[in-house]
Amino acid sequence: MTFRKKMLTATALSALMATAAQAEVTVLGWPGGPEEEALRAVTEIYNAKDDVAEENKVELLFFSRDGFFDKLQADLAAGSDAFDVNLLATYSIGRYAPYMEPITLSGEAEGVFGDTVLSTMQFEGAQYGVPTDLSMHFLFFRSDLMEELMGDEDAKATYAAISEEYLGTAMEPVAPDEMTWEDFAATALYFSRSVNPDSPTRYGTVLQMKNLLFNMMVFQSLPRAYGADWMDADGNITVDSEAYRTGLEMYKMLYDAGATPTDSLSYEFPEANAAFTSGQVAMMVQWNGASGALTGAESAPMTADVTDSVAPPTGPEGRFTHIHGLGLGLNKNAQNPDGAKAFLEWLSTEEAAVAYATAGGAPGLTGTAIEAVAEARPDLVPLGEFASNYGYVMNGATGANALSIYELQAQEFTGYWGDTQSLDEALSAAEAGMADLLK
Amino acid sequence: MSLSQRSENAILTAPLVLFLLALLGFPTVLDVIYSLSDVSFETLRAPTFTGLDNFRAVLADPDFWQATWFSLKFAVLTSVAECVLGLALAIYFSPILRRAPWMLAILIMPMIIAPAMMGLMYRLVLHEFIGPLPNYLYNWFGVSYGFLTAQNVFKTIFVIETLQWTPFALLLFHMAYESIPEDIREAASVDGTRGWRLLTRIELPLMLPTLGVALFIRFIDGFRVFDNIWTLTGTGPGGSTTSLSIYIYVAFFRSGEIGQAIAASMILFAAAFLVLFVAARRGRGKETA
Repeated sequence: MTFRKKMLTATALSALMATAAQAEVTVLGWPGGPEEEALRAVTEIYNAKDDVAEENKVELLFFSRDGFFDKLQADLAAGSDAFDVNLLATYSIGRYAPYMEPITLSGEAEGVFGDTVLSTMQFEGAQYGVPTDLSMHFLFFRSDLMEELMGDEDAKATYAAISEEYLGTAMEPVAPDEMTWEDFAATALYFSRSVNPDSPTRYGTVLQMKNLLFNMMVFQSLPRAYGADWMDADGNITVDSEAYRTGLEMYKMLYDAGATPTDSLSYEFPEANAAFTSGQVAMMVQWNGASGALTGAESAPMTADVTDSVAPPTGPEGRFTHIHGLGLGLNKNAQNPDGAKAFLEWLSTEEAAVAYATAGGAPGLTGTAIEAVAEARPDLVPLGEFASNYGYVMNGATGANALSIYELQAQEFTGYWGDTQSLDEALSAAEAGMADLLK
Repeated sequence: MSLSQRSENAILTAPLVLFLLALLGFPTVLDVIYSLSDVSFETLRAPTFTGLDNFRAVLADPDFWQATWFSLKFAVLTSVAECVLGLALAIYFSPILRRAPWMLAILIMPMIIAPAMMGLMYRLVLHEFIGPLPNYLYNWFGVSYGFLTAQNVFKTIFVIETLQWTPFALLLFHMAYESIPEDIREAASVDGTRGWRLLTRIELPLMLPTLGVALFIRFIDGFRVFDNIWTLTGTGPGGSTTSLSIYIYVAFFRSGEIGQAIAASMILFAAAFLVLFVAARRGRGKETA
């Protein structure tokens, strides 16, 4: 073979290989943890199907988790076609929607996920993704300590005295599933050694107060129970409200009283879990994703057997938990949009959802789908139930600037908790910033 | 220089010039355009010219000034502390290091750790339930000290930064101290100059250029601090640990205020350029004198 012929053959082969690579469906998923494992499992099932053409097989791509959404935004904005399907989250749909295409789900989707869960992947009336994982908050508590408190008359007397001193009313302990936020505060104070020297734990609760947007999501279920929202139906910003004041003041009161660890202003998800599993915390509101870590014998040897969970406490306006979903949607610049659409449609079927849940994912399921996984994944049963009964999304929280609003609130509210500004200053700054971001 | 020589020079330097133009020129021009435009991730390819609006917005933003003050305070305090400690340690350890130079490798170990790792490491070290320091403080003294509260966080990151980078100053000062010719010390000793007087009148003046360089490098590093603070506390309660680099990062990626973020970085660049220019002019003036 002459040199020229060799070069031509090599060029032709390269072109063929490039075409083959382009024809695959590349999916950019959420790296690490159960989400990645579950996505790998369903991808294997999909790729093994006879009716999936070779050029539509799915290939997975993972970035690092650190700064994932910033990197994804930069990629999407640059018109990247390195992936056909990409991850999206409820709070960032508005940010990514300009670079994505709405999709059509399978006919089974509504019966598999339910309307509330499907709405976590919608923006301006269009469906942008298949909801793969649902995040919300549970109240995790030490069942042994709660039982002890409920059955001890002396403890009840101490509880009443503490609640009267800090909350102005002599209260009686109630079961975690019946707690109001006031009960939560009283119980947290009772189990804190700085307030009650006889407490079996060092702290009653652990609040995640770091200047971080995800911590604002954990916090918001408290003011929401008092009627808080970001804006009213007319578009007026309503953050400077009694509901937010109540929530912010309750957090600060608990922090100042020593009911949460001293360094709570630097705490987020892992720090809170570490505190709880040390056995020195009586209860906390935490993401459902912590279930495994808090109830696993290996990850929580001291507390796993006595840790239980319910929905977050209730308030005058009801019982609420923030919900948001992770999902997969279609990149506008996808190289293989048809293959990507076919994969996404299959992903919204009961077969895929059940396989995803069985492999470790956390989708919010209803109907026959949840019945199919209830035995293998009992933790998913309350997920769907809580999402339907208590799930909420603040008005404006799927908009293009939702993340910036959480960032802004984190900045201002932590400033108040950390004594660098007053409550009025914090709320006024939050309101001014939100008016700008939500206009 | 003949014409052929000149064209030869031009041809030889062309790749480097082109490389620099591509690597520095293009981003600089783009930065200037973006800093004068209303631009977001959605409009990266079609920014709207808004004149100096971004610069006005940045200069009117109290958070920018808070971040600038934080960076300045952090840079001055850490660079001075690192240099003073590094100098003291270099002199104190010099007899030992002369006999066992391998010990230097142990002493400079902290600076080998990536700053981001340092931040993560201290997240564990300072955690009340899994960190050794709070654990012993609580068990021995019953104290639950908040290392990362709004009131203490600056002190904590100051200590962490100083612990990590004092070895850098130590390394420079050790080399400078050891390079002082022994005959100068002997001559001073013959004249009766020893101890403190030898240090302040002979050795320190000879180490002054190194001291200046160390202080300058550490100041720059302290001023642009990002990684360790970001991984340890993020922007801090109420933005109390927002350095200028963090301010720019947050404005760019989190708030999507690309124009403002770049305007802030241009202001930072102009300020740094001015400082360097004045320092260079003064340095040259002294050399001439």
